[in-house]
Amino acid sequence: MLKVENLKAYYQTEMYGVSRNVRAVDGVSLELQKNEVYGIAGESSCGKTTLIRTLFGAFDPPLRVVEGTVTYSLDGESVDVTKIQGERLRQIRWKQVSYILQGSMSLLNPVRKIRKTFWDFTRAHEPITDAEKFEAMARNHLNRLGLPAQVLDSYPHQLSGGMKQRVAIALATLFEPKVILADEPTTALDVIVQRGVLQLLKRIQRETQSTLVIVTHDMGIHANIADRVAIMYAGRIVEEGRVKHIFGDPLHPYTKHLIESLPKIGDKSTRTSIPGAPPNLGDPPPGCRFHPRCPYAEPICRRESPHLAAVANDRRVACFLVTTKENAHVS
Amino acid sequence: MSSTFLRYIAQRVVQCILVIFIGITITFLVPRFSPTDPVEAAVNRAMMMGQYSHPDAVRMMKEALTKMYGLDGTLGQQYIRFWKGLLSGDLGPSLSSFPKPVMSLIRTSLPWTAGLLLVSAIISWTVGNLLGCLAGYFGNQRWSQVIGMIAMALHPIPYYIMAFVLLVALAYVIPVFPIGGAVDIGLKPSLGWIYISSLLRHAFLPALSLVLIGVGGWFIGMRTLVTNVVAEDYVTYAKYAGVSDRTIMYQYVMKNALLPQITGLAMQIGLIFNGALITEYVFSYPGLGYLAYNAIFTGDYSLIMGVAIFSIVGVSLAVLLIDLAYPLFDPRVKYQ
Repeated sequence: MLKVENLKAYYQTEMYGVSRNVRAVDGVSLELQKNEVYGIAGESSCGKTTLIRTLFGAFDPPLRVVEGTVTYSLDGESVDVTKIQGERLRQIRWKQVSYILQGSMSLLNPVRKIRKTFWDFTRAHEPITDAEKFEAMARNHLNRLGLPAQVLDSYPHQLSGGMKQRVAIALATLFEPKVILADEPTTALDVIVQRGVLQLLKRIQRETQSTLVIVTHDMGIHANIADRVAIMYAGRIVEEGRVKHIFGDPLHPYTKHLIESLPKIGDKSTRTSIPGAPPNLGDPPPGCRFHPRCPYAEPICRRESPHLAAVANDRRVACFLVTTKENAHVS
Repeated sequence: MSSTFLRYIAQRVVQCILVIFIGITITFLVPRFSPTDPVEAAVNRAMMMGQYSHPDAVRMMKEALTKMYGLDGTLGQQYIRFWKGLLSGDLGPSLSSFPKPVMSLIRTSLPWTAGLLLVSAIISWTVGNLLGCLAGYFGNQRWSQVIGMIAMALHPIPYYIMAFVLLVALAYVIPVFPIGGAVDIGLKPSLGWIYISSLLRHAFLPALSLVLIGVGGWFIGMRTLVTNVVAEDYVTYAKYAGVSDRTIMYQYVMKNALLPQITGLAMQIGLIFNGALITEYVFSYPGLGYLAYNAIFTGDYSLIMGVAIFSIVGVSLAVLLIDLAYPLFDPRVKYQ
């Protein structure tokens, strides 16, 4: 469905003659199948949002794709969204690939009724010939997602946070896209509402057999909804695998820390945090980017950067400790 | 008309009346507590002529002036008399152009000021906001940067310099426009072409000077507002969804960015009743500002108070108008 190869997207800025590269996405490769939920996890500023934006072909300066491809196979045709622009990109967006951006509270125009927003979003891709037909379509779509049709008559400020996010999801799925990219779709919502929103996303994904990419720092959400999870650290994917393997048997030291930091029922021991802070992406450390914080770092980790290598079926990890010892567990 | 709607309006109207009442009361009190005594000042002016006056004559003059200014009796009596006069449209006689009543002076000046300022405020608001919106939306294009630079260059020019330069350039060096006045001397007001064209020719330079400065201000404000709104998530979301540029610019960006500017316009229109002192002075335009200027210089207390009262009423009514109209522009503000 979607194949990303060695994608490098940098924020290139030049100020007072000093140019700066912030390597937000630095050599990411991944492959997504039809009808799967792919989670991307990682801490703040690890490049999650940049990655998902690039997947949508939405990179405006200073963000530039320096290298690599993002290839969708749509109706037997392969399209690299890093190469196309303008009208061609507009045709793919929303009808084939949708993007729910971060900031559920502010995705709707505060001075426009939801109906008008639906109208705008629909008309951007299909001519509306008949107002009644449009009305029926909008109501039908909301109905299918389990939302009351009255929201059409509301202004955004009259809706709750969860409802706003659901409306944003409804807008993104107007044309049953084959790929839905969702960036932090549940942040700023409380857990009960989160569950509803996730169930909605999951249901849409199942009903339309689409591919759902969900970016969040919240590991609980990945455990709930994702089929496969990728862990990002400092612009790179450090580990990728089936959700039960990632949670049950994390291989990369960073993933281990991440999983161990999650509270478990009945376990009252104090959670330890990883020492140090994530690296500055403008000037990342040489070698493995995690080595300054890694308790198991060896000399090679400081010199060379590990590749994301397959260690088992559906399992890739970028760590010398794992790849050199061939599946041996780090202890 | 629901009852909440009526209550909303009634509340605002009562508030407005209260503000006007307090404002006018303060205008009434300030000169009465000021150390300069208008009666004394007028008598002194008369004495300065160097004539010998009999003390009885001076005393009688003082009494007459005190009565004319409404300064006889206790403060409470004065206050009640003042309101009685005001409500029947009488602000007393003007001292500088005695015995003309203040009301009739204001009545002749007001239309000139109101016409000039209203038209130039509306033109500069419309042009400034439209250009500002375009410049903010297409921020990185050459033409928008050029307009930005022109506005930036125009805006900080002190207004009186701009007005003088226009006057000297277009009325003296190249005499296309008259040097001053509101219409050619001797013309009787009519709806005929001669009168109207004379009026427009006289109003052109003052209006141009006001518009040039005004456009710069609105432009810079609007451009900043638009640059902020463009970065909002809902604009990005609509852009990604492929909504047309036109719709995004008008319905998503402009509608949101314009909200504070609408308030600004109403305030500007309220200030019309202050007159535009420098404009009217430079272009010898017979408006309220000119009237106020003369009133201050001649110490014409009743005229100053008259102009101040009009200004209070004007600004308060403008605020009332925004309050009443705002829910039409911003759905988040409701009639309740």
